[in-house]
Amino acid sequence: MNKKLCFSMLILLLSSAFIFAQKSVTGTISDNDGSPLPGVNVIEKGTSNGTSTDFDGNFSLDVENDQSILEITSLGFKGIEVIVGDRATINITLEADAEALDEVVINALGFQVDKKSLGSTYSKVEADDARSAGETGVINSLAGKASGVKISRSNGDPGAGSNIQIRGANTISGNSQPLIVVDGIPFVNETANGIGNTATAGVSQQSRLNDINQDDIETMTILKGASAAAVWGSQAANGVIVITTKKGRNKDKVDISYSAVASFDKISDKHPLQSNYGQGSRGVWRQNNSRSWGDKISDRTGGEDVFNTSGQYFEAYGGGTHYPITTKNSQETFVDKNFDQVFGTGYSLNQSVSVSGAGEKGGIYLSFGKLKNEGIIKNSFYDKINANLSASYRFNDWFSVKGKASYIKINSNRIQQSSNVNGLYLGLLRNAPDVDIEDYIGTYYDNSGTPTENRQRSYRNTYGSKTNSAYNNPLWTTNELKNPNEVNRYIMNLEATFKPIEKLTLIARGGLDNYTDVRESFFPVYSSGSVQSKGLYSIENRDLKNLAFDFIARSNFDLTDDINLTAMLGYGHINRERETLYSEAREFLFNTRLKDLNTLSTIENVESINSKSFYKSDRFYSVLGFSYNDVFLNLTGAYETFSSSSEGVFYPAADVSWVFSNMNAFEDSSFLSNGKLRASFGQVGIAPARHRFDTTYETFTYQDYSDPVDISYYGGGFKLNDDQGNKNLKPEIKTEFEVGTDLRFFDNRVGFNFTYYKNEINDVLLDVSLSPSSGFNNQYRNAGKLENKGIEIDFNVDIIRKEDYGVSVYGNFNNNQSKVLDLAGTEVVSLVGGSISSVAIVGQPMSVLYGSKILRNDDGSYDLDANGFLQKDSELGVIGDPNPEWRGGLGLRANYKKLHFNILFETSQGNDYAERTRFILGNFGTHADVGNEVTPAVDVLDVNGNVHPAGVPVRGNIADFGAGPVLLEQSWYTGRGGGFGSSPINELAINDASWVRLREVTLGYTLDSERFRKSKLASIDFAVTGRNLAIWTDVVGVDPEINQSGVANGFGIDYFTNPTTQSFVFSIKINY
Amino acid sequence: MKKIKYIFIAFSIIFTGCDYGDLNDNPNQPTDVPEILVLTGTMLADVAINASHIQRISGMWSGQYKGEQSLYGAIYGYEISTEESNSSWGYLYNGILTQNNVLREGLADDLLIVGITKIVEAHAVGTACSNWGNIPFSEAATEGIDDPVFDSQSLVYSQLQTLLDDAIANLNSVSGYSLSEDIFFNGDVTSWIETAYTLKARYYLLVKDYPSAYQAAQNGISNGARSMKYYPSATTSGDQNLLFEFLSGSRSGDMSGNGTYLSDLIDAGSAISRNNAKTDEDARSKYYYFDEDGGNSVGVASAAAPMPLVTYEENLLTLAEAAARTTTMTTALGHLNELRVFLASGAAFDLVDSGDILQYDAYDAADFASGGIENMDGIDDTRALLREIVEERYVSGYGTFIPWNDARRLRASDLDISVPFPLNTGAATAHPERFLLSQDELNSNSNAPDGLTIYSVTEVNQ
Repeated sequence: MNKKLCFSMLILLLSSAFIFAQKSVTGTISDNDGSPLPGVNVIEKGTSNGTSTDFDGNFSLDVENDQSILEITSLGFKGIEVIVGDRATINITLEADAEALDEVVINALGFQVDKKSLGSTYSKVEADDARSAGETGVINSLAGKASGVKISRSNGDPGAGSNIQIRGANTISGNSQPLIVVDGIPFVNETANGIGNTATAGVSQQSRLNDINQDDIETMTILKGASAAAVWGSQAANGVIVITTKKGRNKDKVDISYSAVASFDKISDKHPLQSNYGQGSRGVWRQNNSRSWGDKISDRTGGEDVFNTSGQYFEAYGGGTHYPITTKNSQETFVDKNFDQVFGTGYSLNQSVSVSGAGEKGGIYLSFGKLKNEGIIKNSFYDKINANLSASYRFNDWFSVKGKASYIKINSNRIQQSSNVNGLYLGLLRNAPDVDIEDYIGTYYDNSGTPTENRQRSYRNTYGSKTNSAYNNPLWTTNELKNPNEVNRYIMNLEATFKPIEKLTLIARGGLDNYTDVRESFFPVYSSGSVQSKGLYSIENRDLKNLAFDFIARSNFDLTDDINLTAMLGYGHINRERETLYSEAREFLFNTRLKDLNTLSTIENVESINSKSFYKSDRFYSVLGFSYNDVFLNLTGAYETFSSSSEGVFYPAADVSWVFSNMNAFEDSSFLSNGKLRASFGQVGIAPARHRFDTTYETFTYQDYSDPVDISYYGGGFKLNDDQGNKNLKPEIKTEFEVGTDLRFFDNRVGFNFTYYKNEINDVLLDVSLSPSSGFNNQYRNAGKLENKGIEIDFNVDIIRKEDYGVSVYGNFNNNQSKVLDLAGTEVVSLVGGSISSVAIVGQPMSVLYGSKILRNDDGSYDLDANGFLQKDSELGVIGDPNPEWRGGLGLRANYKKLHFNILFETSQGNDYAERTRFILGNFGTHADVGNEVTPAVDVLDVNGNVHPAGVPVRGNIADFGAGPVLLEQSWYTGRGGGFGSSPINELAINDASWVRLREVTLGYTLDSERFRKSKLASIDFAVTGRNLAIWTDVVGVDPEINQSGVANGFGIDYFTNPTTQSFVFSIKINY
Repeated sequence: MKKIKYIFIAFSIIFTGCDYGDLNDNPNQPTDVPEILVLTGTMLADVAINASHIQRISGMWSGQYKGEQSLYGAIYGYEISTEESNSSWGYLYNGILTQNNVLREGLADDLLIVGITKIVEAHAVGTACSNWGNIPFSEAATEGIDDPVFDSQSLVYSQLQTLLDDAIANLNSVSGYSLSEDIFFNGDVTSWIETAYTLKARYYLLVKDYPSAYQAAQNGISNGARSMKYYPSATTSGDQNLLFEFLSGSRSGDMSGNGTYLSDLIDAGSAISRNNAKTDEDARSKYYYFDEDGGNSVGVASAAAPMPLVTYEENLLTLAEAAARTTTMTTALGHLNELRVFLASGAAFDLVDSGDILQYDAYDAADFASGGIENMDGIDDTRALLREIVEERYVSGYGTFIPWNDARRLRASDLDISVPFPLNTGAATAHPERFLLSQDELNSNSNAPDGLTIYSVTEVNQ
């Protein structure tokens, strides 16, 4: 391979700056804290002679004579001029410039750059602002903080992953999450379902970005546009989040800091349930019935039920005895009691200690974090430990190194949820109101008195006679099922900086990111489901190694008197290996809680699947930054080849920025304090999935509808895959244009940033549906085309700005509009399947909701049946759009002396939501919507045409679809109005889910008075935060932010998904 | 200029250097396997087409099963979407036709394999054609054709006759050998040839070519042991009777065989009981029984119960019906009584209770004469016999498409002798006549016809 050769040539290329002068000056430039400042410009005034400081703030410059003046400027600091005099060594301290500091951002490669020189959008989220959200994971703390950045949590489970979407969806089947770059090196963030879990059922998975210790974060910058991200090629189409972490810098003393954040969480929304009607069907009480369309509970006689004690019964370990009931008399209901048995107050405690310091030659930062989080659902938890060591050392003027080692360990237990008979909500919300879930486990005695231990009891199995309870008792789900995971993650980064000659910096850096995620799932015998009822244990070991290294050469010099060039050339390599081993044991030999594959089952009931994937990429990139007075032009080019693409791809980008406020016309303007116009163009990509070149043979299970027939039981065998291979895969290419302006008015009191962007994604990869009759069902192709466009506004207004107090209002707005332009003839591409799916359809926004719809006439009116009811269209169609028309955040920040206050509202308007939980609970007769008794004013028909006479009370609801009042009763709610699959009119489950929420409200106090400092502590910060305290929306019972399929391109669907939380958070931070 | 030159040189060296070899080859799945390993899968696909979801739906639409709740509750009420056809449609084309291309290319010289592939294909395509009417076949699974045309239903049936003739010719030229990949007959040529003839007879019957049906069936399955059935080994999910799996899992309670027209027909206590002096259906009634509580340990809905695909019973009853229509009543009666002998032998189904009596005494002509036990309403003797044969097909065909196919075949031409099972809901005015085309096919194939409903009568049943 020629890479080494190439690299040395690159170095040669840049080794061409020569300078002639008479006097040599050296020195170190540092900040107020004594930390050395790299990258400070040192220019001999009136000439083009200059240099910049190295990693450790050192510079060396040859100047004319003693009268030479050094102009010293650095981003975020007040510039100064120094006369050389007779000194040979000049050490200088620069004062931070608070306002200018805002103008420094970190670019995609982790370098500090002057924001004014950039023509692309960079959103900075202050680490403190993010922390104040009181979230246990860093992703959620970004919610509402920047325009065009949509954060959606999967649910409120401890550690559950969250979806990050920047400027809409950029892909159909590819990775939808932004690239995370920590200290210049990619940080793997995935939320993988794995082999043992599906997107729409099972347990919620973690997002690996949340592994990071929030206390270690120094800055977070969100690069939304393509031009800023182009150097990362096919990894960057979803934007880049650049994080820098803290380093040791204070030379005077050891910094010690301790912080603790405690939160108390409760469920944010509860599905309202009815307590008026009992278990059964058609008004008749029936024990063990799946539904609660039974008798009117108040019509019961009251008192004890009559039991059949002659035969079988269930003796709970908790003490209760349950017999078959012959007459239901009791009027007791248990809706609230049942709920409280599985839900409670969750809490988390996140503690972090850090120690840091620096000396002449280097610095060190050491931190340790410990998070303990117990969820609102009993037995759900997420514990995390972070240890982090970051160190730097300067050997001499031209060679320095730094390194970082992090260890992260997570232990959690997750709760089964969603479309899953073992799911918590499915069992709880379908549970009949007159059945107490308390005695969920015990011994079942059959008619001949033979006992069976550890039997489950549930509302469909009230005396334990069945081995499969159909749906779990929620207590069985929380107490008997185990879904732990353990993550061990090791991250090691090294960086070496050489400065072989003046004006040339060479950086070599590399990182290894390795984690294993071991997930177990244990369903003891008598769990629900045909397989699980006989016992099912699985263990999945997911291992990922990501090796990334970059060689970068940077130089800065004047091309002419007016034009300065910052040039960078780089090469990056990524090598990613993933290996997953999944094993399961079924049909336990005996009823045990032991978790060992070979003990549990005979060999034919132990199955293993392993899966590997490999990926390598090589990128060459160059960024040329020209500046001419107040106009800045950046040209970026990246060429990338990688293993899953059949060809190499060039990604060009350009951006231009003009600080027009420096023009003479604005020189003395009291109105405009700062103004910049910017425009950018760029291309980025999304890599094709790996290993998709060939049509393979696969083993398979045929299963039309819950009746699998598995080839492995028939001597094994294969079939030629119904997914056809494709040798011509290449990345999706996103091309984006944006224009914008950053304005500051009235002495920087008002800040206003505006951006218009439009992007088009071509060659979108998708499984193109083939006509199945062609012999193949799908082929993965570069076939689609999408676009996003919108405007982004961020603003800040300092209403009051005084020495001791201030009030400011801030906010952001985005109205991303996405559209699917082409799917290569495929009508519907499912992003997440289900009775209501989230799909891509040409001409529609991405991720629209799709399912069975109401039959309409040509004029759009309802085509009602003879009885006056809605009918179902036999064809499926678009039934909702979960994308908001616009989103925004609005906050107010105030401080009085050391007291500070922040309140942030966030809104999403015009987004639809599929309330499938509510819809299906109508079917089961448990939802409050269907617990009503109505008295028709006139004779009304039900959906079957039966007459319900006026004046006679009847269970149900009166509706009028346009042909006069009709009665919605069991037949309606279990048929067209609430059935399963595509049999009902699923459009009826769609609701407008526009919401406004009080995302966070914080009150804090900083104690750092002179008197206090005498205690040797530097400061103490206290804060109280309310998180997600209120939401205003038409959707009932569920926070419309949650998504059944978790982190995915498809969204806007709830189906017995675990709920979200609201919290009170108390935090303290002590600095020594 | 020199710099630019260096840049060009550097870049050109580097960019031609990035070759990832076989790194993107699939590390988890092969791209090449011995073709014989593909054979069993085509048979499982055939099982999944003929004994799973769409068979159960056909049963719900012909008085054999009852949809109790959830999806099956809705489908029972004739509310069905195009998605319900997706899986079986895919199993047919990719699961059988594509794999058969692999087998026939790779094992072209092994005429046993070639013959078997044709019969499995004819079986599955025939089921598809009867359920969906016009379907892609002549251009299906053909390289280079993205959107195969839909052949007319009658054309498909005639192509299947040719395919089966080819299969029979292939198999007549070989002697079988033990073939463990053949889960139906272990390479037994005779069984396959007889199955091919019974299928020929089936398809002649479906297009109402009764003389040809009679002729083909004479070479059809000649004893119970040669019936083509799916024999699950019952040990674990994935290897069990599909009805049992469906009833025992998360769909438990969604469907039952309780309170159906069929269950009444074989229930001694019911007003429409078909028991008579010569017939006692009690044992069969018990064998067929399953309720909302799910699968059973014995009977048709038990884990190990064999699932009928192409049977001796079908062949005898095809002979009987075709004979009644084209030859003499005596001949037809003879075939019917052969079946009754078989039923009485205990070989047709297991006894749920060992003490149960199997009574299927031979019928004679008098039973079908006006006033006879099978003709109390005094219709024409031959019609009465046909009516009994059709009813017997309805009962013996439990678990197959026969009841549904017969109902649709006879509705226009022979309503008087068809089995009068009722509509499932008062809201409906007609029985379904077909399945909806697969949504996947509708989405992608520009040749797919629009506007069909479940009430659109297929070509051969008009």
